Amino acid sequence: MTSTPGARTTPPDVSAPLDPSTPTDPSTSTSPPAPARTALSARARRGAVRTLDALEHVVGGLGTGVLALMTLAAFVLTALLSVVGVGLLVAPEVLRAVRAVADRERARLSHTGATVVSPGPLPDGLRAQLGDRDLRRELLWTAVHGTVGIGLGMVALTLPFAAVRDVTLPLWWRGFPELVGSTDVMYVAVTSWADALVVFLMGIGWFVLAVLVLPLLARLQTWPGRALLAPPPGADLALRVAQLTATRAGALDAHMAELRRIERSLHDGTQNRLVAVTVLLGAARRAVVRDPAQAEDLLERAQCAAEDALADLRAVARGILPPVLADRSLADALTGLAASSLVPCTLRVDLPVRGAASVEATAYFVVAEALTNTARHSRASAVTVDVRTTGDLVRIVVTDDGVGGADEAAGSGLAGIRRRTAAHDGTLLLTSPPGGPTTLEVTLPCGS
Amino acid sequence: MRIVIGEDDALLREGLALLLRAEGLDVVATAPDADQLLAAVDRYEPDVAIVDVRMPPTHTDEGIRAAVEARRRHPGLAVLVLSAYVEQAFATDLLANGGARLGYLLKERVGRVEQFLDALHRVAAGGTAIDPEVVAQLLTRTRSDPRLDRLSPREREVLEIMAEGLGNTAIASRLFITEGAVHKHIRSIFAKLDLPPDDEADRRVTAVLRYLEDAQRRA
Repeated sequence: MTSTPGARTTPPDVSAPLDPSTPTDPSTSTSPPAPARTALSARARRGAVRTLDALEHVVGGLGTGVLALMTLAAFVLTALLSVVGVGLLVAPEVLRAVRAVADRERARLSHTGATVVSPGPLPDGLRAQLGDRDLRRELLWTAVHGTVGIGLGMVALTLPFAAVRDVTLPLWWRGFPELVGSTDVMYVAVTSWADALVVFLMGIGWFVLAVLVLPLLARLQTWPGRALLAPPPGADLALRVAQLTATRAGALDAHMAELRRIERSLHDGTQNRLVAVTVLLGAARRAVVRDPAQAEDLLERAQCAAEDALADLRAVARGILPPVLADRSLADALTGLAASSLVPCTLRVDLPVRGAASVEATAYFVVAEALTNTARHSRASAVTVDVRTTGDLVRIVVTDDGVGGADEAAGSGLAGIRRRTAAHDGTLLLTSPPGGPTTLEVTLPCGS
Repeated sequence: MRIVIGEDDALLREGLALLLRAEGLDVVATAPDADQLLAAVDRYEPDVAIVDVRMPPTHTDEGIRAAVEARRRHPGLAVLVLSAYVEQAFATDLLANGGARLGYLLKERVGRVEQFLDALHRVAAGGTAIDPEVVAQLLTRTRSDPRLDRLSPREREVLEIMAEGLGNTAIASRLFITEGAVHKHIRSIFAKLDLPPDDEADRRVTAVLRYLEDAQRRA
């Protein structure tokens, strides 16, 4: 944008947080012959967009303001009725309504700026609810937003209304002489064309004022919500610490489960094969003199058992970390997985750069586990694996055309995927309606 | 000798049966899990049950529990427990009611057929067979016991072999000494460890193993 002469004259965008869409206006980067005019029209357009956005926000704010006022009234009424006992019965519902309205405002605020995180559903029981610190802040918010917020919204709506009415007055004042002829409705009694002109000029004034003030009013209206509905400072970190503690425990669990699996496959698989080798060799040695033909047979079996042991060992090693993943790339490792999938697998990989080793390993195991799940439970005839980098995220989407109904609580595979994913601060999204299809989407921060 | 085998790994189960049959022993049944093993023991009433520790469904200590249960049902049954690894804690469980007709060996000992058959016969005859590895674990973990330090190197060797469950003759031939010398060493060992002298091999084993465990707890 800065490469075009017109754009250089653009003043700093004061209301940037409210309208992130405007800088992409294509007119700023075209028609170099008339730079001044382009700049002007761009500014006008931007101003119009900003004003309309602000208007939309104010209307939304007015909506939540009315809701807040209603819940506030319900709350006060319930509080009064609680004195005589009756209110206590409905109190939990009213408090839940407060949380619901506050969540609506949070969603609205998150839409237009930084995300405001909801503290989640209220606890059960009136005592616990009243002890909820977030709820008390929400009640304060209903009081402020239900009064000041509504007031701001009214003022903000009056401005464009007055502007339109006054600017268009010359067109219709003669049709309604009684309406405009008194100061009941108008602040200036309009009885002549000169009056109408004055009001028209005032309308222009309202218009300019609306453009200038609306964004400010819209922002002012969001302020109580931003101040009172966001988690109090410090709570954010506490939440994060709790989350990290949980994911760390999950990661350690996943790690333990992994070690257990490896131990078991070594002891019950590989070692048993090797024991069989020693048993058969022992038997062969005893048979050498007694019955050479049987000894030969036993040696043959011993050799087979030794080869089995080697195959087992390879499988265990691959289960710990696939060599191809370590030596080549995630794409190559995934190709191998897709090729050995029991359900025909279409693989799409777009990974321009290598990620951190732990992230790649997790991505590999997510796909491996997902394909195993598909083969075991879905009765699918085809499965698609899509792995690509988007920004600094690795996105893995595994979709099959099977019967659906995958339940994370039922199978340990999905729980394992979730634990591994959570350990990387990743996300897991599972859509699996009965009848299918099943889509598993995992995102992992690249971490490189 | 009639034998029942409980082992979940098919190859190993068949290998074991093959080996024992080739030696002229009577393998009357094989079982892939603890329940079938108990059923086979009830049905065939064998002289010896050879039992793997880890079997389905949980692959933890089903074999040990099955062995204890089988012995409860058939007090005369000899049990030889085979395991991928030996753990002294398992040995303690098994030896809780004395070491008679009891064996606990690493699986791969089977490959040394002569010694394995020897252990099998010893257990079937009412003796004890404890894996040298278990004894070694006990000894390395009780290094700081002052009474053990009083033993001469030769006495220590005798102690280790005795703890495996071998009788005086076997100890003598293993160490290339006379039985009389073994007898003398054992008396000296029991005296140094303040244990009452005992010539019965299985009671001797239990006494020695218990002593080592106690020593471990004291350390």
